[in-house]
Amino acid sequence: MKNKLMHLSNETMNIGFVKKVEALSGSSVRRCFQCGKCSAGCPMSAFMEHPPNRVVRLLQLGQGQRILAGRSIWYCASCETCTTRCPNKVDLAAIMDALRKLSWDADGPSKESYVQLANRLFIENIRTYGRQYELRLGAAFNMKSGQFLKDLMLGPKLISKGKLKMFHSKNKNIADIEGIFKRIEEMRKKGEAL
Amino acid sequence: MTPGKKRLSYSYYPGCSLHASGREYDISTRALFKALNVGLKEVPDWFCCGATPAHNVDELLSLSLCAKNLSLAEEVEGDLAVACAACFSRLKTTQHHLKEDDNKRKQVEVAIDGAAALNKPVKHILEILAREYGLAKLEESVKKPLVGLKVAAYYGCLLTRPPEVPELDDCEDPSIMEDVLRALGAEPVKWSHRMECCGANFTLSRPGVVLKLSNAILESARIAGADCIMVACPLCHGNLDIRQKEIKEAYGAPDSTLFGNIFGSELHGGSAPDQRDVPIFYVTQLAALAMGVASQSLGFESVITDPKPLLRDKQLL
Ligand code: SF4
Ligand code: SF4
Repeated sequence: MKNKLMHLSNETMNIGFVKKVEALSGSSVRRCFQCGKCSAGCPMSAFMEHPPNRVVRLLQLGQGQRILAGRSIWYCASCETCTTRCPNKVDLAAIMDALRKLSWDADGPSKESYVQLANRLFIENIRTYGRQYELRLGAAFNMKSGQFLKDLMLGPKLISKGKLKMFHSKNKNIADIEGIFKRIEEMRKKGEAL
Repeated sequence: MTPGKKRLSYSYYPGCSLHASGREYDISTRALFKALNVGLKEVPDWFCCGATPAHNVDELLSLSLCAKNLSLAEEVEGDLAVACAACFSRLKTTQHHLKEDDNKRKQVEVAIDGAAALNKPVKHILEILAREYGLAKLEESVKKPLVGLKVAAYYGCLLTRPPEVPELDDCEDPSIMEDVLRALGAEPVKWSHRMECCGANFTLSRPGVVLKLSNAILESARIAGADCIMVACPLCHGNLDIRQKEIKEAYGAPDSTLFGNIFGSELHGGSAPDQRDVPIFYVTQLAALAMGVASQSLGFESVITDPKPLLRDKQLL
């Protein structure tokens, strides 16, 4: 990407997508004047093919799909450094959230399926149990990602240290959580929520 | 909460980590509050706040989970005390957004089928220690000053950012952790990485990221002459403590990576990198220790990078 000429055409320009990002994040992308301060402080920019300032630039040019096709959004740690430092009050951390949601909704073309998988398991745990238990989360992640041996040696050590619980229970008021998930789904179906 | 004669008392949201991998943070928080005679009552049946995964892909879900927790917390008297920096950030962010945006608030109130408790003050443990209990009183309460203990105070990302949300301290040059350390009699060191990211929740999906970022933090603390690092977040603790051995293996040999090379050759005058263990303490463990709480009640046995040799060395055990 870095040294390739980028061709803009009607096919790649999607202003509707950018408007969605702006609505979801509550932040303007037009305000950015490409000073690069966000990327300078971003702890994850070294892992991204489009560092934060370029993500905003691509949005300004209506190139949402190019962002979704890459890994940048899944390498953002949500540390809020960019948002804190932007001289133009571009809320980049919120823009990253919005981009991830759009990728998630579309069951994204993103390559970073491991991060998506971890997020998905985490959210499923909330719906099923109300709380997280790291052992369950780690075990499910290793099973589903096919990394059976990953962190295997860490497991027993953490259990013996009391850091991982072997057993867990559900919240007593778990029906309340199910209600929240259901009502959000309904609102979205009726177009009452983004 | 009015200071003065009335005894300070808080409702308490521990969050998932404090009931599992960060249990020593929970244990030491309770022990510390008891030692300071400050009330602490856990919110019954609280839910997971959604942490990073929820807001990463579904802001409405994240706001609704936090709003539900805030309304559960309404049932318990006292401002809401939160120890985990991530839970703290999510709960405060929710209040901030819902106060600013009527449309979001209405959606959330439909989702949780009730009103959002936007005015319950949410306070981080550090804020309670330094501002509400007060540094002067904290210093007076010290029974065993942490003399000679050089500590790197590690803020990480979410305690101070973005500034309008946590409202805890300056977002580029905070001092609240160092202030607390001085009140406890310890010696905060000046170091470069106190606000750098540790890799946060990538510990499951991208451990390599965590190893790289956390190595830089540990290395910076060693270079500054710190004996240990103090944190206020179970995620930071997990990354720096649990993965410390792996970090050493990955970055130990001077020529194993480019990163190892940079530190190995330039900052150490060509010698091998400093491989000292760096015990990681929660703020509440150090504070409770200074208040004379028995070390058995502070969860030191749950920590991977054993802090006991250091504490013995400094005659604090
Ligand atoms: S800091 Fe703000 S203005 Fe500067 S490049 Fe980043 S988003 Fe644009
Ligand atoms: S929030 Fe994401 S994009 Fe912004 S500085 Fe942090 S890691 Fe980088």
